Amino acid sequence: MYAGPVQGLIDELGRLPGVGPKSAQRIAFHLLKLSKEDAQRLSAAINEVKERVSFCRRCFNVAEVAAEGDGDALCELCGDARRDATVVCVVEEPRDIVAVEKTQEFSGRYHVLQGAINPIEGVGPDQLRVRELLSRIEGEGITEVILCTNPNIEGEATAMYLARLLSPLGVKTTRIASGLPVGGDLEYADELTLGRALSGRREVEG
Amino acid sequence: MKLHRLWLTDFRNYQKADLEIAPGGLTVIVGDNGTGKTSLLEGIGYLASLGSFRGSPREALVRRGAPAATVRAEATRAGRRLLLEAEVRLAGLDRVLVNRQPLRRVRDLLGAIQVSVFSPDDLTLVKGGPSERRRYLDAALVALHPRNDALCSDVDRVLRQRAALLKQAGGRSSTDVERTLDVWDAKLGAAGEALAEAREALVAMLEPEVAKAYDQVAGTAAVTSVRYVRSWEGPLGDALGVARQQDLRRGANTIGPQRDEVELQLEGLPARTHASQGEQRSLALALRLATHAVLAGTAGEPPVLLLDDVFSELDEDRAGALLAHLPAGQAVLTTTGALPPGVDPALRVRVHDGRIL
Repeated sequence: MYAGPVQGLIDELGRLPGVGPKSAQRIAFHLLKLSKEDAQRLSAAINEVKERVSFCRRCFNVAEVAAEGDGDALCELCGDARRDATVVCVVEEPRDIVAVEKTQEFSGRYHVLQGAINPIEGVGPDQLRVRELLSRIEGEGITEVILCTNPNIEGEATAMYLARLLSPLGVKTTRIASGLPVGGDLEYADELTLGRALSGRREVEG
Repeated sequence: MKLHRLWLTDFRNYQKADLEIAPGGLTVIVGDNGTGKTSLLEGIGYLASLGSFRGSPREALVRRGAPAATVRAEATRAGRRLLLEAEVRLAGLDRVLVNRQPLRRVRDLLGAIQVSVFSPDDLTLVKGGPSERRRYLDAALVALHPRNDALCSDVDRVLRQRAALLKQAGGRSSTDVERTLDVWDAKLGAAGEALAEAREALVAMLEPEVAKAYDQVAGTAAVTSVRYVRSWEGPLGDALGVARQQDLRRGANTIGPQRDEVELQLEGLPARTHASQGEQRSLALALRLATHAVLAGTAGEPPVLLLDDVFSELDEDRAGALLAHLPAGQAVLTTTGALPPGVDPALRVRVHDGRIL
């Protein structure tokens, strides 16, 4: 245990995801050594995101709040009129949008579920932005939903849940393919990925 | 496959250990109880299965006061020299290297070396509950094909998710619960069916080998049978639908591969309840010899035999029969001293107090 404020800082840092007690201690002592200006810049940055950033009212991506901060923000992507409003890509977290955007292959809109179905963590459809997705389908004239959740147990279960929910609505529902990394060698591909790539193979036009 | 050398650092009670393994035949490790003989076998086993064959948690594998243990072995496989290394960390994931190159995923190490373990605890395969026998089958499945490791962990994960959901429902059903359960049923239906099929295929391969090995070990001909009994009928997906009300009421998964049994019979009677102690020992040994034979048959090379203090548990006849029918290849054996007559070790190593002498 350290003197009050230091321990307080360590405890707070230790609550961050992926930061264990040892890392928390290391970061705390690093912060102690920082110049006052550096430390204040960090705390100002934290304050600023809390004040100026919230979730997009349409897709639940991160969005910058307007100057008056009414919380009714639209994110940059939803505000962009050039994007195709009929196709929506469903992801688990805002950081997944960044990943998809990097591909420059998708020009539709997004919907962030803010998680995946995970009963162990107490997350069911009610804790996700599922209802909001359904109301968007009808309200925005969406014709295709791309299910872009993670290819793990929880992500697959979430995709299946949504697919079943969406099918009576008559909207085209697709799931991203899983397969081999581009530029890789088959020899080094792991069996699971290669197996999936084989079962999801496509006919080649000759 | 051949194992040449094993190094341990901060593993169990070893600060450092360097064990040479005879290129063929029997390497015998002699030492008193509690001096670290089994830990050497456990180190070899760790590289094969990424876990302790004694079922010990990782905290038990890391020497007290050290943050991590290292297991390193030199082996040859298909003419290729391999340096295998696993760092067992108290916190976080293991780090695994092959020829000093870190593997992207720890489980990619599975299959690099294969072992067959015989231990005094093997009797629980026959006398213990069904979970012991399922664990035995699953371990053999992973050794047979590392892909099965992903299958086993998928089934486990889906089961835990489904159990959590059933518990949260608190015995009540709603459209929300039903809809989410539909999804987990579909997932469990697919993965559970695949696991049961893999286990059944393995049992079919094992049964003739068990029969053969039993006769050799027991020294008499007897009718043995190994049967995989599913806890459901028909496709698992459908059966889960039927079992749903019951599952909701109990707040638990009542059917699935986690409830299946491997029935062992001797002369038409359940071995668990009707066989004598000696017959049970013979059968347990026969099960181990059978997986060894199946693994050797599919891999083309016999796994390394790890014989942990087996002679303390066997009478002279069975010990003699085991040695007489030990498959060709490398074997590492631990003993407190006495070896049955006729044993001719290729290499003898003495262990004292966490040190190899």
